[in-house]
Amino acid sequence: MKRVVVLVLGVLLLAGIAATASVAGKLLIWADDTRTPIMQEVAAQFTAAYGVEVEIQQVGFSDMPGQLLTAGPAGEGPDILIGPHDKLGELIQNGLLEPIVLPTAVIREFNPSAITAFSWGGLLYGVPYAIENVALIYNKALLPVLPSTFEGLLTLAKGLTDIEAGTYGLLIQEPDPFHTFALHSAGGGYIFGFDANGVLNPCDVGLDNAGSIAGAKLLDQMVKDGIEVAGADYGLVTGLFGQGKLAAMIGGPWTLADVQKAGINYAVAAIPTIGGNVPKVFSGVQAFEISYYSKNKVLANLFVKDFLITKPVMLRLFELGNRPPCYLPALADLSGNADIQGFAAAGANSIPMPNIPQMNSVWGPWSDALALIVNQQLDPETAMKNAANQIRTTLGCP
Amino acid sequence: MYSRHTLIGSIVRHALLLLAVAFAMFPFLWVLSASFNVTDGMQMQRLIPPNPTLAHYKDLFTSPQYKFGIWLWNSVKISLITSAFVVALTALAAYSFSRFRFKGRRVGLLGLLLVQMFPQMLAIVALYVLLLTMGDFFPFAGMNTHTGLIMIYLGGAMGFNTWLMKGYFDTIPRSLEESAKVDGATPFQAFVRIILPLVRPILATIFVLTFISVYSDFMIASIVLRTAEQQTIPVGLRVLISDNYGNRWALFAAGAVISALPFLAVFLVAQRSLVSGLTRGGVKE
Amino acid sequence: MRDTFLLRHGAKILGLGVLCALAIYAASSLFVAGSYVLAALPVLAAGIITYIFLSGRRYPIRWLVPGLLFLFVMVLYPIGYTFLGSLTNLGTGHMLPREQAIEQLLDRTYAPSNAERYSYLVFQDAAGSFVFLLQGRETILVLNGQATAISLPDERFVDETGDGQPDYILNYRRLETLEIVALLPTLQQVRVVYEGMTFGIDSLTEFSVQMPKYSYDEAAETMTDLETGMAYTVVQGIFTSEKGEEIYPGYRVWVGFANYIRLITNPQISAPFARVFLWTIAFAVLSVALSFTLGLGLAMLLNDPRIRMRTLYRVLVIVPYAIPSFVTILVWRGMLNQNFGVINQMLMSFFGSAGRVQWLENPWVAKAACLLVNLWLGYPYMMIVALGALQSIPHELYEASHVDGASRWQQFRKITLPMLLMPLAPLLIGSFAFNFNNFNLIYLLTQGRPAVPNTLTPAGATDILLSYTYRLSFEGQRGNQLGLACAVSVVIFLVIATISAINFRMTGTLEELSKNV
Repeated sequence: MKRVVVLVLGVLLLAGIAATASVAGKLLIWADDTRTPIMQEVAAQFTAAYGVEVEIQQVGFSDMPGQLLTAGPAGEGPDILIGPHDKLGELIQNGLLEPIVLPTAVIREFNPSAITAFSWGGLLYGVPYAIENVALIYNKALLPVLPSTFEGLLTLAKGLTDIEAGTYGLLIQEPDPFHTFALHSAGGGYIFGFDANGVLNPCDVGLDNAGSIAGAKLLDQMVKDGIEVAGADYGLVTGLFGQGKLAAMIGGPWTLADVQKAGINYAVAAIPTIGGNVPKVFSGVQAFEISYYSKNKVLANLFVKDFLITKPVMLRLFELGNRPPCYLPALADLSGNADIQGFAAAGANSIPMPNIPQMNSVWGPWSDALALIVNQQLDPETAMKNAANQIRTTLGCP
Repeated sequence: MYSRHTLIGSIVRHALLLLAVAFAMFPFLWVLSASFNVTDGMQMQRLIPPNPTLAHYKDLFTSPQYKFGIWLWNSVKISLITSAFVVALTALAAYSFSRFRFKGRRVGLLGLLLVQMFPQMLAIVALYVLLLTMGDFFPFAGMNTHTGLIMIYLGGAMGFNTWLMKGYFDTIPRSLEESAKVDGATPFQAFVRIILPLVRPILATIFVLTFISVYSDFMIASIVLRTAEQQTIPVGLRVLISDNYGNRWALFAAGAVISALPFLAVFLVAQRSLVSGLTRGGVKE
Repeated sequence: MRDTFLLRHGAKILGLGVLCALAIYAASSLFVAGSYVLAALPVLAAGIITYIFLSGRRYPIRWLVPGLLFLFVMVLYPIGYTFLGSLTNLGTGHMLPREQAIEQLLDRTYAPSNAERYSYLVFQDAAGSFVFLLQGRETILVLNGQATAISLPDERFVDETGDGQPDYILNYRRLETLEIVALLPTLQQVRVVYEGMTFGIDSLTEFSVQMPKYSYDEAAETMTDLETGMAYTVVQGIFTSEKGEEIYPGYRVWVGFANYIRLITNPQISAPFARVFLWTIAFAVLSVALSFTLGLGLAMLLNDPRIRMRTLYRVLVIVPYAIPSFVTILVWRGMLNQNFGVINQMLMSFFGSAGRVQWLENPWVAKAACLLVNLWLGYPYMMIVALGALQSIPHELYEASHVDGASRWQQFRKITLPMLLMPLAPLLIGSFAFNFNNFNLIYLLTQGRPAVPNTLTPAGATDILLSYTYRLSFEGQRGNQLGLACAVSVVIFLVIATISAINFRMTGTLEELSKNV
């Protein structure tokens, strides 16, 4: 009995490790599992150059904003982290990020819309490294020629869909607003409009305007024609595509890793015109950010500016994450990469997802509306109108 | 309670049990088959995977990025230690509630029950601050330590466990302690030497329930444990699926299968005590 | 008994002494750090514990001390925190305490357009003081806290290496890059004022203009933007200009019971309230009833000495409990997928397209799906508890009643069930409370969906009170509203505590409490 007690006490004592936090003289970086390898490589270079210890902590990508919220003010947060641009507003309103000052010459080396996505109040809050948008990814064996209109694509897709055999023509991951936005935007649908000064006006909700409703009706038609099937989530859509049982899908660069592993002869292209209009897609930007609570801002800036803004690092980030780089010199190196060109073509008319906190109130009602449409529980027009009104009510708009 | 052996009765009982086993095991079998799958993707699998592979299991333990072995050890260690302490704390409190009359007894018991009903979703920020302060004084019990985590779990030890134990203690006749008192033992000695061995079933019950509750906890562990070396299985597994567009279902399934094993082992050992029956050899009523 | 007496009491006194010493240590450190309120707590706690252990009358409470200690610190304190939080406007833009927010704003700097940058060299003497040489539009020497423009060559400079840059200024030696890096924590704080401009370290090689952006007037509680001249006053914890522009971050302020009033008067809550509340109650009651029935049934089956391989059955049947619930709930969600999930695929192979059940899409079927999954998750707990409780029923009762000619069903109804319900009633009530607040299951399985068509509120068909109200708090107007969510927690606690208290009374549990002493 006594031995057990001693053992237990010993174990308890050994179990303690000093809390990890932003400590002056040491850099702490949060990276998700995709980016951790490259960060460790760069960290090794940094330590070799300056003798400063760098620690990488693996945190889930979607967990980082929430964790920074509690960890930062408590002094437990990182010096550098990565983040998506649509959380920028929330982080800034909580005073969590440090502005990053880059010389104009360096700023020009980045994709301008990426820089805009991370700007707020005239200051830059992140060094963007990847921009992503969805495009049409299709199987060249099943679909040798991509029609120039969406309607043409639908006709072909209908012919290719055979539920018994388990083959499908076109699937949009359901019922995901991010992926279906193209359908709404073609006819002029939008989420929040801009006011006279070019600032987003949260009370100008465009989800029930003519264009949005037209897109909803198109989705409804796709379901009625048997092309779009309920329950098709990300795993299923990419799985089917990887097995050669799906001719086309709307997806982003993150799907390519599995598609390539499966050895499909695929191509990436812009989404064909809908009703004669070019659809706009959402773009999402990811960047390196510096925490306001960092105790090593000079070192953090040094790390980011001198060690991360380099062509090799940006290219390596592309290799790991498959997302087109925002750093133009790196992008230029990839001009031969057909996938990147395809996403760029699709993203030529992309708009960044709104980064204001009011967006929190949008995704829920919008997804609900799409679910009701896909499950044929409500007609598209009413569904979109209800969603828009719900958003207006939640935001307290007149 | 149970009457004679009949063949029909036996068949009926076994059929019912098999039905229950099927209900219980089906999702588990699904996860098991996914872990042998070559390609990822939950919807695409069949019950018997076409080309079964053990690669994912190997990946779990050899992957430099996912320190599964360490997570497993951490989870088991923390759960065992916590359960042991919880059983001890609860037994002490339950014995007192059962045997002694004191002011605040009724209110105390009621309070213990009610306090557990508070939605603790937002305890996150409070616990964060608490751990930081504790870490300032006792570095081994602060943020990112197992000691700190165990102490948080111990906070929830009392409550329904105490109730359950008290009820069990109530069924033990006091004559046993009376005779011990005559022999000159203190209440504590009577408790340890006479009562505790008699209540093994309930001790085993609380141990098992606490073990799985601590083992599966994700919320609190994810706040407290920050580095991969310190993390437990639920926290570690969640990293595999937190990135919405990551497709690591098969690896995740393998992790889930292995993570079930420790509890099954604990249950196997404890279930003998669970049903050992009460030996009332002490005093005849 | 004499020697053990000394041993036991000696140990006790020693333990109490150590405890008091620790408490005083903690209290004094907290006191010195400025948290006077917190400092009182360890002393109070140690005092109470010492009293309990020295007073004969309080002997029974000694048994409770360890458990209560943890309970107070780990459970009651977060509850208190949540309650206090509900009285504030904690949320996006209002997370920080006032001092921190103001401090952060006063920390902000700006650089006027066309601001100059200076490259710098750092020099340090044996005592550790610094000298800076800034080179840009002018050459500035910062010595003893004074910045003056100088012209080269300066007689105080000594260039040994001949690279054009001084290696020594007076007795200050030039620092290498690596040395600068090591000293950055100190160097970062340095501010140089020259010709009305404030400069600070920007990188390893440059100083840049860093003018303070704001100035704060404590008396008037106004923040003035030194760059634009705009004045901002405090409105609900955010500095707002006359035109309505806001500066972030704001801070949290007490709002009294405003959150509670919002909860009660919010039409988005009151409209679906009846529907959501009824489903929450139904969900909790049915979950408990179903899992208890299945758990008890299995416990009785597995207790039967006539069944062989009981151990194997027990282990197999406990498997749902063995895997963390967030894993299994996701698995169930996949299995219940309308078109591609295993369950529907099996059903469709038997019944054709009629087998395509809309598990998570049809409002009523989704409710059933929640109950089904919750049953799967919950029966092992009931089974374990019942297994233990069944042991406490003396065999003699069954033997005696059997002799009296009672049937098995009568035995169950008159002996087993009543004798089980006595100790288990509070557990069932507790399980009810747990499922009333079972946010975990609803969130992972359905997220409250499917949406109910044609309602203007986002309450889904499977939303329980807690999941719906939390969602409103986090998907509300301006980002996360934690203060509101805290109020939700308190209100729901009051609801469930009331229901439970009524249940306790009805099942005679309270009377049971006073029995048996």
